[in-house]
Amino acid sequence: MTVYKYFIKMALRNKWLILSNTLLFFFFAIINTSGHIQEEMSFIETKLNIGIIDNSNSPLSNSLKDYLESKNNIIDVSPEEEIIREQIFLQIVDAVVVIPEEFEEKVVSKEKVIEVYRDDRKAESIQIEHQIEKFLLFANATHEEGKFDLNAVKSALSEKVNVNMIRDGSRGIDKGTNEWFRYYFNFTAYVTIACYISVIGLVMADFNEYNIENRRKISSKRFLRFNKELYLGQLSLAGIITFIFILGSIIIKGKYIREINFNIYLVNTIVFSFSILCLTFLINNITRNKFVTNCLSVVLSLGTSFISGVMVPQQFLGDKVLTLAKFFPTYYFVRINDMQTSSLLGVKNDIFMQLLFGLAFLLVGLYLSKTAQEV
Amino acid sequence: MKTLLRNCIYQGKNLIREFGFSFWCLIYPVILATFFYLAFNGMMDIELEDINIGIEKGNRIESILEEIKILNIHKVSQAEVQEKLNNGEIHGFIDSDLNLMVKESGINQTIIKEVIEQIKQMERLNKPIENYDFEADHILDRNQEANLMVIIFYSLVAMVSTYGIFGGITVVSVIQANLSHIGVRLNVTPLKKHEFLIAGVIVGLALNLFANGILFIFIKYVLKLELLNEFKYSSIFIILGNLFGTALGMFIGASNRKSENAKITMAVVIVLFFSLLSGMMGPNIKVVLDKNIPILGRINPISIISNNLYRLNLLGSTRTVREGTLILSLYSILFIFLSYLFLRRRDYDSI
Repeated sequence: MTVYKYFIKMALRNKWLILSNTLLFFFFAIINTSGHIQEEMSFIETKLNIGIIDNSNSPLSNSLKDYLESKNNIIDVSPEEEIIREQIFLQIVDAVVVIPEEFEEKVVSKEKVIEVYRDDRKAESIQIEHQIEKFLLFANATHEEGKFDLNAVKSALSEKVNVNMIRDGSRGIDKGTNEWFRYYFNFTAYVTIACYISVIGLVMADFNEYNIENRRKISSKRFLRFNKELYLGQLSLAGIITFIFILGSIIIKGKYIREINFNIYLVNTIVFSFSILCLTFLINNITRNKFVTNCLSVVLSLGTSFISGVMVPQQFLGDKVLTLAKFFPTYYFVRINDMQTSSLLGVKNDIFMQLLFGLAFLLVGLYLSKTAQEV
Repeated sequence: MKTLLRNCIYQGKNLIREFGFSFWCLIYPVILATFFYLAFNGMMDIELEDINIGIEKGNRIESILEEIKILNIHKVSQAEVQEKLNNGEIHGFIDSDLNLMVKESGINQTIIKEVIEQIKQMERLNKPIENYDFEADHILDRNQEANLMVIIFYSLVAMVSTYGIFGGITVVSVIQANLSHIGVRLNVTPLKKHEFLIAGVIVGLALNLFANGILFIFIKYVLKLELLNEFKYSSIFIILGNLFGTALGMFIGASNRKSENAKITMAVVIVLFFSLLSGMMGPNIKVVLDKNIPILGRINPISIISNNLYRLNLLGSTRTVREGTLILSLYSILFIFLSYLFLRRRDYDSI
């Protein structure tokens, strides 16, 4: 097992590469998925993040502020217009409401009075507009003898409707948990491709080096045995890397595993890893150049992640992009995670597609390897 | 001057022929921009979509709902409700008692709820209908488009503008006798090192600016994205980004005796880390950091460039231009000065 031993030894020389990729992965996994677990037992009203600047400080403006505060999350905002616009642009706030000094008089005379900074293209802008207009409609309706009946308005606004949520079996109570795992495992696609191609590729480039290969050819080591040990080394390394990512999910959110179909994530990740290992095998048979291997690692990991729905959900990607993504196993891996089905049978086609890709990569790789030997 | 020009030509040829430079400075940014575009384009063009409401035939609030522009009314029988909610045809169903049925929580469902609540609340307020003026409009609209995703493109531009770092490392490595063969030759000839160094900086800056230009042309004419509407200050920030990158590269090159490859890895990690903090891998990271550690966005060179670029080009704001240019200039001067300290009077006992 000399070859196997040296393969592992050389792979461990690239431990910083594995470690940096893994740390980057966990950093993103934690930042991007924090706060995703939220059980949805009943209907939850969407609260907007809004800023209120009250220059009037009148009973009417205070009452409006109280109402908006009860319906939304209030964010501190600067009165400077440039900063307000930037906060809307960055989606730190959904809207900023500016109440002027002569508020009450202008409400009574039904003038345009409240400045609302918002993005007109978003549903949130409709919601804040509706809340403000409703409050002022009610306030004006109670305006008699120069006074607003704000208690009556407040009492009326406390009237609620019943909201019932339907359940469809697969989704509902564990939606938030599933969302976390979906996000986490989708992201493993990026780091798996990056790690496999760069680490295994770099080690294989050393083994495929011209002088080493010549020495191997004149050694007593049989070619088949040499290759067997190399492939075993690749399999071991891939297994360790994938195991770290699976273990990571168990360590971070282990207590929620029973709420989801963890087996599907597990099988999917293992099948995907196999398929990417075969892709790595193919790349190693295409090039021996470390620089090209590195470039391919960066381009393929980022590229397939962006077009297959790892970084952005598939529902937001265009049809042409998704058509292109179908030529890579990452698309089917992400699709299974996004399906959130309860049985393996439901995802058998996508599992099969990944295996098929793996097989195709393997066969082309073997063909290239055979051709290279003949030369 | 003639020597400087000759040095520039030789070093320029050298750098262009290097595949590493071509890939990282010319090809990689274009590939990244393409991927960003493919992934995020759909999320940048938001359109206000109608909200689909299901009601039974003869519901008493049908005429009220029809008056509201954003609502689409669908006639749905009780038997179809579950199916239509499940397949997303309707966002909510209102029954004859004004109860709402939904499949999930969300902004559209919340808006439907508020519309029905208004009807109930008016009943509770118990005022004659003529007291309500439904035509009154109290809102002065101040529209501002939100576009968090575009931050990724500005971060990419900012990152690429600092790729002069590679030229900086190369030129400093080349003149050091313990790191390159050319350095050995240079140190035993009467050629002046500082001329070689200045030529290297000029070439590094010029080629990276050229690479930035290619990226901008690609983004504008191929991806059809208008990132640069304001030219004057934007180009100042891009040039300063190049200067900062080259200065940092010179500092990395001069401050230690690691191999050129190790220094380039160091440079990639530093630039990538700064870019990550500025939102290149996801704008939410920038938002979270701006909220919790706001000083970071003001001292991170990539954030300074990307923040100013979107402020100038999309918000028309120049409020942080002076601060940004000052900090970037100070960084550049500091790194050039430190590199000079490391490089001056360096002697070799044996080369």
